[in-house]
Amino acid sequence: MEDQISTLCSATYSWCQFCPAFALVVLAGLLLLADAFLPKLPKRSFALLGALGSLAAAVSMLSGDHPNTFGFLACISTALTLLLAFDYKKICCESIAGKDNEEGTGEFYALPLVACAGIICLTQARDLIMLFVSLEVITLTSYVLAGYFRRNRGSIEAGIKYLILGAMSTGLLVFGAAWYFGMTGSFALNSSVVLHALNGGEVGSAAIAAGFLMAVALLFAGAFFKIGAAPMHIWIPDVYQGAPTPTTTFLAVASKTAGFAVLVMLVMPFLPFMQPGVQIAQMLVITFSIVAAATLLIGNLGAICQSNAKRLLGYSSIGQAGFILVFFMNPNSALGFLVSQYLLAYTLATVAAFFAIALVRTQRGSEEISAFRGLGKSNPRLAFLITVCFASLAGVPLTFGFIAKMYTFIALVDAIPTWGHLSWLLPVMIVSAAAGFYYYFKVIRAMYWEQQQPGDKALCVPVCTAAVLTVSAIALIVLGTLPLVLAL
Amino acid sequence: MIPLAHYLIFSGLLFSIGLAGVLVRKNIIVVFMCLEMMLTAANVSLVAFSRAQGTAGIPVYDAQVLSLFVSGIAAAEVAIGLALIVAMFRSRKSVESTELTSLKD
Repeated sequence: MEDQISTLCSATYSWCQFCPAFALVVLAGLLLLADAFLPKLPKRSFALLGALGSLAAAVSMLSGDHPNTFGFLACISTALTLLLAFDYKKICCESIAGKDNEEGTGEFYALPLVACAGIICLTQARDLIMLFVSLEVITLTSYVLAGYFRRNRGSIEAGIKYLILGAMSTGLLVFGAAWYFGMTGSFALNSSVVLHALNGGEVGSAAIAAGFLMAVALLFAGAFFKIGAAPMHIWIPDVYQGAPTPTTTFLAVASKTAGFAVLVMLVMPFLPFMQPGVQIAQMLVITFSIVAAATLLIGNLGAICQSNAKRLLGYSSIGQAGFILVFFMNPNSALGFLVSQYLLAYTLATVAAFFAIALVRTQRGSEEISAFRGLGKSNPRLAFLITVCFASLAGVPLTFGFIAKMYTFIALVDAIPTWGHLSWLLPVMIVSAAAGFYYYFKVIRAMYWEQQQPGDKALCVPVCTAAVLTVSAIALIVLGTLPLVLAL
Repeated sequence: MIPLAHYLIFSGLLFSIGLAGVLVRKNIIVVFMCLEMMLTAANVSLVAFSRAQGTAGIPVYDAQVLSLFVSGIAAAEVAIGLALIVAMFRSRKSVESTELTSLKD
C-alpha cells in the first residue's frame, strides 16, 4: 500500500507550485471574513483588492523555468473581471439587495478568486484526480456566480440551466475518469499509459482498448462542455445572456481558458501517435474536424440574427472556440503556445467588449445592440476603442485578432498534406470568418450610423473602464502590427 | 465473489437511467436526483475498478480517493442547486423546467 500511495504522490507535485493558488484562496477567505466582520468597509473595495491579488498571481505565473501561459491568462482574466465588477456596482446592488444597499454583495467580489485558484491548480494537473477536483472548484463557483443576482429572473434561470448542464458534463467526465482508471490502472495522463491501454493492457485484449476509447470520448465530452464546442454548446447563449455581466466575462474568458487547458492536457498524451496511418490518430483528427466545423458554423451563423449584445458575444465565443479547435487538427508540441496566443487575442477583445456592454447597461439600462446608438457622436473616443475591439474579434488586418485567425488558417493548411481529407474545412472557416465580419460590425454600425434618440446623453466613462478599454485597444493594435513591422 | 462485470453493468444502468432522467424529466428536483445518480454510478465503477486493479486483495486506493472527492463535490453541487431552486420558486412559484423561458432566441 505504501508504494501505491507513493505512486499517487510521485506525479511530482510540489507544494511551492501551488503557492499562488493558496495565496488567492487565503485572500478570498480574508475578504469573506472582512465581509462579515467589517461592515463599514465598502464592498466594492474587495474587487480592487482581488484584482491586485490576481495580477500578482499573474506575474508569478510567468516567473520560473516553465511559464504557465494558461494560468497567466486566467489570472489576468480574473483581475479584469473583478475590475468590471467594480464598475458594475450600481447594477450589483440593485439586483442583490435592492436600491443602493451593498448588503450581500461581498461574496460576488470574492468568489472569482477561488475559481481562479482552481484554474491555476488545473493548469498544473498531471493526473485526472487533480484535473477533476480543480475543474469542479471552477464550475461550482461559476454556478453560484451565474445565479447570484437573485432579484433578476434571467440570472436565476441562467444559474439553473448552467447547473443542470454543467453537472451532467461533470457526470460524463467522472464516468470517463472511472473507465480510464479501470482500463489503465492509473489516473496519470501520459503517453506510456495511453500506449499500454491502446495495446489492450497486459492481456492484449481488444475489449480494454475499446473501453479505453469510451473513457477518452467521455473525457473529451467533459472538456468540450467547458469550451462550448458543439454539441455541448447549448448552455452558452442562455447562460451568457442571463448571468450577471461580470460572471459572463469570467465564463467567456477565464472558464474558457480552463477548458482549453484541459483539452490540451488530454490531447498531449496522444502526441506521439499522431501520424498518418495510426488508427487512433485518424479517429482523433476526424472527431476534431467534425466538432470544429459544427462549432464554427453554429457559433458564427447563430450570431448573425442576435439583437442582444451579451447573447451575440455568447455565440461569438462558440465561434472563436471553433477557430481554436482547428489547431488540434495538427497537434504538435507548440499546441499549448498557439492556443494561448489565440486566447490572448480573444481575451483582450472580449473583456473590452463586455466592459462596453456593462457601461451601456449601467447608463442606458439596456443590453441590446441598439443601445449603442449614436456613441460615435456623443463619445467619439469610446466609440473608437470599442470599434478596435470588435474589429479585432472579427479579424480585421492590423489587429491582433487577424494574426491569431491567420495562424488557425496556417495550422489547417499545414495539416492538409498529412491528413489529406481536411481540405473541406477551409470553406467552412472562410464562411465563418466572413459571418464574423457581418455580426461584429452590427455593433459598430449602431455606434456610427444609427441616430441618437432624444434624451440620450453622452456616457460618463468610469476610470477602470476607460483604462481597460484603452490598454486593450492599444495592445490589440500593437500586437497586430508588430509582426508586420518586424517582418519588413 | 461477485465478478467485476456485474458491478459495471449495474453502474452502467444507473448512469443511463440518470442521463435519461436529466434529458426527459421536467421537474427540476427530479432532474437533480438523476444528476446525483450519474455521479453515484461513476462512484460504483470507481470502487469496483479499484478492487479489480488491486493485487493480492489490496485495492488500488487512487480510485477510492477520487470517489471520496466525487461524493464531496456532489454534496456541494446539491447545496448550490437547492439554493437556486428555492430562488427560482420564490420568483416563479414553480420548479418545472418548462417555466424557464425568459432566455431564448
